[in-house]
Amino acid sequence: MSYILRYFDGIGISEATRLLLTAANVEWTEEHPEWPQEKANQPYGRMPVLIEKAVDGETDFVICESGSIERYLARKYGFIPADLKQAALQEQLRDLMFDVNHALAGRLSSKCKEDRVESEKKFEDLLALVIKEQTKLITSNDNSGHLFGDSLSYADIVLYGFYKNLLQSVVVLLPDVADIVRTMLTPEVLNLISAVESDPKVVKHTSKGNSLARAAAME
Amino acid sequence: MLSGSDTVYVLRYFDLIGRAEGCRLLLTAANASWTEEHPEWPAEKANQPFERLPVLVERSNGDEWILCESLTIERYLARVFGFMPTDLKQAALQEQMVDQQADLVPAFMAQLMATDDMKSKQIDEFNTLLDRIVKEHGRILSRNSSKQHLFGDQLSYADISLYAFYKVYIVYLKIYQSNIDEIVKPKLTPEIINLILSIEKEPLLAPHLSKCDSMAAVLTSKAL
Repeated sequence: MSYILRYFDGIGISEATRLLLTAANVEWTEEHPEWPQEKANQPYGRMPVLIEKAVDGETDFVICESGSIERYLARKYGFIPADLKQAALQEQLRDLMFDVNHALAGRLSSKCKEDRVESEKKFEDLLALVIKEQTKLITSNDNSGHLFGDSLSYADIVLYGFYKNLLQSVVVLLPDVADIVRTMLTPEVLNLISAVESDPKVVKHTSKGNSLARAAAME
Repeated sequence: MLSGSDTVYVLRYFDLIGRAEGCRLLLTAANASWTEEHPEWPAEKANQPFERLPVLVERSNGDEWILCESLTIERYLARVFGFMPTDLKQAALQEQMVDQQADLVPAFMAQLMATDDMKSKQIDEFNTLLDRIVKEHGRILSRNSSKQHLFGDQLSYADISLYAFYKVYIVYLKIYQSNIDEIVKPKLTPEIINLILSIEKEPLLAPHLSKCDSMAAVLTSKAL
């Protein structure tokens, strides 16, 4: 089984997908189509796109929408639990983190100071709730360095990708965001970021580029 | 897989179609024991796990379990009650369609709230995305032998989600933008209209849809 991930050459919203492909220990490559020239050549004019290469002359399986891509890979390779409630709790966390991303997009598109202040508050309030929940889960999971269970899961991977985007990607457009996030991070979440970064299943990918664990802990 | 017969659900949301119609239709189709709560807002904000709605409360054997995020709630209910395929690829195709539909929400809000200088650009983006969704619905339908369903020959999560989607953009959002139905309706092909009407007639959905205005009159009227 081999995969192609089509996306921009950046962290963005695809880091969790990259980590899942790495953790799945499958053959995968990345394509960075010329944009917007290649827009019309994508199934829905957007990215990311995941192509699961066919074997034996069957058709490739193509899936779009970052959440659907993630959940497909996570289920296929065993990073989302079979238990429906446990699966739903992990998916809930992902959706919440993406709500934070949307609030941040609101901040970026704000036209006037009042809107910016309101967007920023919305972003910070929601991020605070998310960090509180993540910390609570880690603590009640015996501070094992995992949100759920005792091995790397979908939720752990999404958390890592979420903070990587905020601290090492968004920072280019909104430099103050990284500072805000750092002041809000708890030791438990920092610990989990480190645990994911050094997890044997993903270290091949997380060791590329600058350490998120270090970026998250910096004063 | 059905949950125990002593399991009851409470859906907490506003007394609006909003983001909860998919959840309502799934609970209805499942023939689950369920009720709705409309918390005082914003008074009850702090009492919700993430200060937002919808919230699903599942009560069984004295235990209570809570889930948030509308699409996570939908996917959970769809899986519990057998409306999501067990085949991972088939499930991903249904989830993909639902995610695409959800992308329209920020585009709708952006064109609604746009300042004059950005209005026309945001309206174009909204229309482009909407056209793509309608086209995708048509494409999926054209590949299915049953024209009463998007996938297979029984009511699935995708059918329920499609119905809720058009209800939102033809009926519900009129409270924000009175001409939204005039923008959306002309884009619908006869096949999609027939699909919506077929889903509306599904016996499993009757307990809920019988309490709502039918989309049939809205969709088949000649006058806009």
